[in-house]
Amino acid sequence: MQRLLRHLLLLLCLLLSAYPLLWMTLASLRTDADVLEHPFAWPSSWQLRSYGDVLAAGGFGSASANLTLLLAAFPLAAAAFLWMADLVQFRLRLWHLPFLLALGGALLAAQRHPALHRALQARPGFANAYLNSLTLCIAAVTAAVMLAALAAFALSRLKFRGSNLLFLTFMLGMMIPVHVTLIPLNLLLGPQLLNLKGSPWALVGPYVAFAIPVSVLILRNAFDAIPADLLDAAQIDGCTPWLIFRHVAIPLAKPALATLVIFNFLTCWNEFAFALTLADSRRPTLPIALHHFKGEQGSLDIPVICAALVISVAPLLIVYACAQRHIIRGLTAGAVKE
Amino acid sequence: MKPSKATLLLFLLPATAVFVCFALAPILGSLAMSLLNWTQGPRPIPAGLDNYRRVLTDIVFWRAALNNLVILVASLAIQLPIAAALAILLSYPTRCRGLFRTAFFAPMVMPTIAIALLWLYLYAPVDGLATRLCQRLLPGQGQTAVIHWLSATSSSIWLPSPSLAAIFVTICWQYVGFHLVLFMAGIAAIPQDHFEAARLDGASELQIARHVILPSLRPTIAVSATLSIIGSLKYFDLIYLMGGAMAETDREVIATYIYRLAFEQGQGRFGQGSAAAVLLFLAALAIVIPLQRWRLRQSRD
Repeated sequence: MQRLLRHLLLLLCLLLSAYPLLWMTLASLRTDADVLEHPFAWPSSWQLRSYGDVLAAGGFGSASANLTLLLAAFPLAAAAFLWMADLVQFRLRLWHLPFLLALGGALLAAQRHPALHRALQARPGFANAYLNSLTLCIAAVTAAVMLAALAAFALSRLKFRGSNLLFLTFMLGMMIPVHVTLIPLNLLLGPQLLNLKGSPWALVGPYVAFAIPVSVLILRNAFDAIPADLLDAAQIDGCTPWLIFRHVAIPLAKPALATLVIFNFLTCWNEFAFALTLADSRRPTLPIALHHFKGEQGSLDIPVICAALVISVAPLLIVYACAQRHIIRGLTAGAVKE
Repeated sequence: MKPSKATLLLFLLPATAVFVCFALAPILGSLAMSLLNWTQGPRPIPAGLDNYRRVLTDIVFWRAALNNLVILVASLAIQLPIAAALAILLSYPTRCRGLFRTAFFAPMVMPTIAIALLWLYLYAPVDGLATRLCQRLLPGQGQTAVIHWLSATSSSIWLPSPSLAAIFVTICWQYVGFHLVLFMAGIAAIPQDHFEAARLDGASELQIARHVILPSLRPTIAVSATLSIIGSLKYFDLIYLMGGAMAETDREVIATYIYRLAFEQGQGRFGQGSAAAVLLFLAALAIVIPLQRWRLRQSRD
């Protein structure tokens, strides 16, 4: 009896939690009138028109061309994410190289395509925002994890004056609200100084800077956990700190690195405030593309907005469903590993 | 290991340079910018403490601070207990426990803009799902009720707008899963014999929750609470995205106040925004540093 009651209660909470997402998916597949008249009912008829509308907006201007770009971008993003997070092992072989070059070339060419370029001046599309977010996240996450690994190794294993002070300074970055830096960063990246504002690259600096503190914390703990004997042995064998870092510490810290890639990738992928302030609406990241899409559509057509939501959220949820254990561990890492 | 100077530089310089350039320097920059007036012509002129005076006498700033405070208290008093209760419910042998965990955590991987857009529909005044649900539940007159979930005005300057509660529901929807996972990990770490001993002594399930689980969860609760507190000081996304329809004096938290002063059309008040940013930074330090010290002491004991 008690057991049944508990399961019912949990199911109710599950319903509250999952229903909005279910409703969103269903609403994207039905007509506007149907949604308005019977919002709770199962759809009376199904249609894919909303997806066509979303895909036809921006980008190449044609739904099928945009869909192709999107279908190329999604596996690429998922593969890059999973590979960087060490969830799929993939060893680069020489014969892969032509394929990779062809794929990269095709994507670059697609982005540089005159038709796309012209259309983007008017309205950026989701496919394009995907590629922007993808390049931005790969660059920022790679840089952040590499820089943080170097610093964390020094803070954990090298002895120098001011080590503690430096560590505390990094930790300060985790505590302060990022919005304190919005105005000065706007000036720093603006036309008078770095002149990066408007390109997605403007976001790399701030993203890396604010990913470093938590990465340093987790990696320092990981390096601290390596037995000192192991490092001493390497040192006696004549390894320099760099060689120890590269060939002993990094391989042993792989789980922590994977965790950090997940955490930083998702934080960057979803980040809103910096992207809103520093990126151009013509070359948006995915969240900003969604924001503008809503702005253009007004609040008229629910299915179309829901289709846009599904297009931008479903890939994330699919990757999440496949690797949920790792992703949950990654996102809670900063809190659990004290 | 005692490294040479060059090695040390190789390891530390890159991260430190980026961090100083894009995080620390801008904070100091805020301080400098808050002492200048940016609205009079193309070049800023010294303004002394004018910007601070303007911010501190602005009712919107204080209302924003109040909203931050309300979100903070509500996170601690409502969100964490919900998460803890769910975690305790899930701690018994449950079918598909993993599924529950995955589903509750799912909103954490979504971009907040997607969450905001979705909930803007749920809260639409005439035909949103929340309104429709209320229309079904209310008898008579209620069936044609129009509910302004997200544009209710506050009744007194000492109270936040009721719409903040609506937004807070969304905040809970987003974050409960996160704290739930932390609590589940905390409960899983409690040795089984504690439960068995309590059951042998004839403790009821409620008593076990109260006297076995909660005390053992104290470190986890401290972590969750710290994260909630830091998080509510930083809060920006959902308030900015969902609060647009609220009255201008009701809709801000400090972060959105800074953003609107500086970047909303026709504003460009970098000085006043920076002054608010400096105040937010000081408030964050004043809250976070004692909190961390307290936690350090706790973990040493």
